[in-house]
Amino acid sequence: MHIIMDVFNWLIAAGPTVLLPVIITIIGMIFGLRIDKSFKSGLTLGIGFAGIKLILDFMTTNVGPAAKAMVERTGAHLTALDVGWGSIAAVTWASPIIAILIFAILAVNIILLILKRTHTLDVDIWNYHHMAIVGVMVYFVTKNILLGVGASVVMSLITFKLADWSQPMTEKFFGMPGVSLPTVSALSSLVIAWPLNWLLDRIPFMRKNKFSIRDAQKYLGFFGDSMIMGLLIGMAIGFFAGYDLMKIMQLGVSMAAVLVLIPKMTSLFMEGLMPISDSAQNWSQKRFKGRQLFIGLDAAVVVGNADVITTALIIIPLTILMALILPGNQVLPFADLAVVPFRVALVVALTNGNLLKNIIIGLVVTASLLWCGTSTAPVLTAIAKSVGIKLGANSLYISSFAATSMVQSFAVYFAFTWHPLLSIPVLLIIFTGVWYFFDGIKHVNAAMDEQNNQKINA
Amino acid sequence: MVARILVACGNGIATSTVVASKIKSFLADKNITVETTQTKLMEVPSKIENYDLLVTTGQFEGKTHNVPYVHGLPILTGVGAESTLNEIYNVIKDK
Repeated sequence: MHIIMDVFNWLIAAGPTVLLPVIITIIGMIFGLRIDKSFKSGLTLGIGFAGIKLILDFMTTNVGPAAKAMVERTGAHLTALDVGWGSIAAVTWASPIIAILIFAILAVNIILLILKRTHTLDVDIWNYHHMAIVGVMVYFVTKNILLGVGASVVMSLITFKLADWSQPMTEKFFGMPGVSLPTVSALSSLVIAWPLNWLLDRIPFMRKNKFSIRDAQKYLGFFGDSMIMGLLIGMAIGFFAGYDLMKIMQLGVSMAAVLVLIPKMTSLFMEGLMPISDSAQNWSQKRFKGRQLFIGLDAAVVVGNADVITTALIIIPLTILMALILPGNQVLPFADLAVVPFRVALVVALTNGNLLKNIIIGLVVTASLLWCGTSTAPVLTAIAKSVGIKLGANSLYISSFAATSMVQSFAVYFAFTWHPLLSIPVLLIIFTGVWYFFDGIKHVNAAMDEQNNQKINA
Repeated sequence: MVARILVACGNGIATSTVVASKIKSFLADKNITVETTQTKLMEVPSKIENYDLLVTTGQFEGKTHNVPYVHGLPILTGVGAESTLNEIYNVIKDK
């Protein structure tokens, strides 16, 4: 046992670029991949992490001093730089307890399926990072591995159930039968959108208005173009920092480079994990053969919808504005402006494309992202530093619109770190109530439930 | 000339990586080499003109400037993947 711990500690000391290839090779082999294939997967992830580290370092050394100067000159307290979900996912995968969390999340899905308590089959291992990060953060703060694993287990329960409950809506609005979207970054908005939409519907004008904006993509399209957004935000920060023209332009191009390069690095993670997801899919399809299931997909498949894009293009500039005026906010929106479509996609489906309601709900969601992001930025920053990301010499925090910036991830993180003995039961009671509302009263997945019951009787 | 395929999804990272690599390996088995570029759906209109084929993982309603378009969702779910890949093969083989 001592030797195992010594080896493990040695790997942690060596850092994620060594730890990741080893851990992923082992995970791959458990999933039945040949050793050469799983080793290449692992190495790909290690390379991806090295890439993310390079970019983050480049980003913070460039924008760090500028953001500091901007804060001093303008008094705008935006000290937590949004480094994007991709960077956060990389930090998540680099956690020493990631292997345990991945298997815990997968186990929750399989057990729920066997007990017929969910219809969503989610073997998209890559997207587990949204559920894993909460466990990673809880473990980091409490040093208690059980609490860490527990947090990720609760996250996955919530995620699979939200995917079930939102499935009829996504099928109807996006026209995709048999598919559900267990992507936390899209589902989290529903936690706010469901009650708020109900409330807005009490106002006849809200329910009936046909407010629309034509040609949004033509005139606002550049807000969706990472290169241009990076350039503009970089130049704006340089301007408010009081830089001269040369330095303003240098910062603009550097920031454009960051927004274009982060996704390239992140896609290495996806590429490395694909063979593992594939073998998990093969295994589970054999196991649940003949049973109709919702195949859990990344919400990336719905964000191309025209209503979603229009809403996102309106929300993106308003997000920057809100960051400046929202009391208590410290998040400087940047890399995750690119994924605003994910945050609004299911809101659009819920309101059936009612643009006015989409904007109102979208802005409330944005405020929650900024506040939760501000409050958990110090922990996230400490974790990033613990896996060897330097973040420059300046005292800048990092944040994002992912991880515990999202409202249900924040709730779970809070419940597991505040007074666990009190707050975890409260969270579970609330969630059980919601569960009863959707499955016991509203029967949202009635057709699927029926099919399951018939199988039992037959 | 090597055919160029633009593969788009929500963020140009997740599902487009899966679809792009499945297209590449399917066509490689038929001795066709293609170049794939991944992008965000929102950036398709500004990039599409330089490509021979557009594959998206989800709904896409923007302009494709007469570039052929194949809906790639089946490649992701596995249901009907074979026929979608053949559809792509038929577009690409004449290039």
